[in-house]
Amino acid sequence: MEYIKQGFIEAFQLLLQFDPEVYDVIGLSLFVSTSATVIAAFVFVPLGVYLGIKDFKGKKMISRLIYTSMSIPSVIVGLVVALLLARRGPLGFLGLLYTPKAMIIAQTILVIPLILGLTYSMAKNRGVAIHKVAKSLGGTRWDSVILIIRELRIDILVNLATSFSRAISEVGAVMIVGGNIKGQTRVITTTISMMNSMGEYPMAIALGTILLIISFGIHSIIYSYSQEE
Amino acid sequence: MELGIHNLRKRYQNEVVLDIDDLTIEEGVITGITGPNGSGKTTLLNVIAGIEDCYEGKVLYGGKSYSDEIKLKTTLVFQKPYLFRRSVFDNIAYPLNLRKVPRDTVQEKVREIGNLLSINDLMNKKGHQLSGGESQKVALARAMVMEPELLLLDEPTASLDPESVVKIEKSLTEYQKWKGCTVVIITHNIEQSRRLCDKVICLERGKVALNGVL
Repeated sequence: MEYIKQGFIEAFQLLLQFDPEVYDVIGLSLFVSTSATVIAAFVFVPLGVYLGIKDFKGKKMISRLIYTSMSIPSVIVGLVVALLLARRGPLGFLGLLYTPKAMIIAQTILVIPLILGLTYSMAKNRGVAIHKVAKSLGGTRWDSVILIIRELRIDILVNLATSFSRAISEVGAVMIVGGNIKGQTRVITTTISMMNSMGEYPMAIALGTILLIISFGIHSIIYSYSQEE
Repeated sequence: MELGIHNLRKRYQNEVVLDIDDLTIEEGVITGITGPNGSGKTTLLNVIAGIEDCYEGKVLYGGKSYSDEIKLKTTLVFQKPYLFRRSVFDNIAYPLNLRKVPRDTVQEKVREIGNLLSINDLMNKKGHQLSGGESQKVALARAMVMEPELLLLDEPTASLDPESVVKIEKSLTEYQKWKGCTVVIITHNIEQSRRLCDKVICLERGKVALNGVL
């Protein structure tokens, strides 16, 4: 028990002393996961709403594919991205492997099914009524998509927070495509994993605590916003 | 805008829910659609409004097929109105903003329609926080403000108290006389049909059972 207690004390010392290594890791984690969530949301929130309100042949099959892809393991995504970006791979000429850009690509692919699936399901269930109103008032399908995003903004924000949490807490994909290089591609989860295997618990506990604080902070902000609304 | 319906068939999973050979709805009058539950009233209104677009036959609007131009001149008020999570003013202004109407004109038109329906005191309230009667009036105002040539109403006074029913009927009659638009209203209430409608169509199992004056 003593080493756990000591681990927590040293962890808070690291945080309060503004240890540059700790904050570099936190900064990169936030940058990679936020970029991935924003990039995916920009395209796949409108697409999810559009598919949700549109009737088309094969919609049931598309639904199944979207929902299945939501549970895709992060290591599989990491492996596929690594194979594509590897020097001998089809996109190897870009020289992106073991860079933050590769990590953003992997996490974007990881959160796309989640953002698409959750938005699609929400639009299918609650967006159709809004679409009918927009249509009856002379709106186009694009007007409906914008209106639905505005009307269901709280739920969409919760979806995005869930997707961001999935991105920032995953370890498999960023480990494979980033390589956990100190000062370059080391993020919270890969550092926790490494420090744990090295028996360096204070750093692991400090970063674990930060991960929980980030998650708590984001969901608290969204909760307060939804209460105001 | 006169409506012509020819050989209209609408099916849901092989069951025919609408089967109308020939029906004309006159321009510039209030026409009531009545009939038992499941007789196809709402489906007919949805077809006319362009919400349902998968059917056999023809629906002509002043002799023309449904188009973007017709869409901008037609509107439907649903039985359970959905108001947006924004102010009543913004709810009513929405169709005008879609049509890129200048801001000053929007203000003027919203106030004008607010006066007609006596809802100017609600303008700053949130749409989703209103009572049933207030919501229905706002939904009606949102439809009327775009000055449609064809106004479709799906039981707009169902589940409202008698006082609200009288107010909505009065506003509707005044508006129709003022603008001279074609109004089609679904109602279960024969007395309401007598008070409001110039003509009445009765549907039964998707077919026109009666078409005339009460």
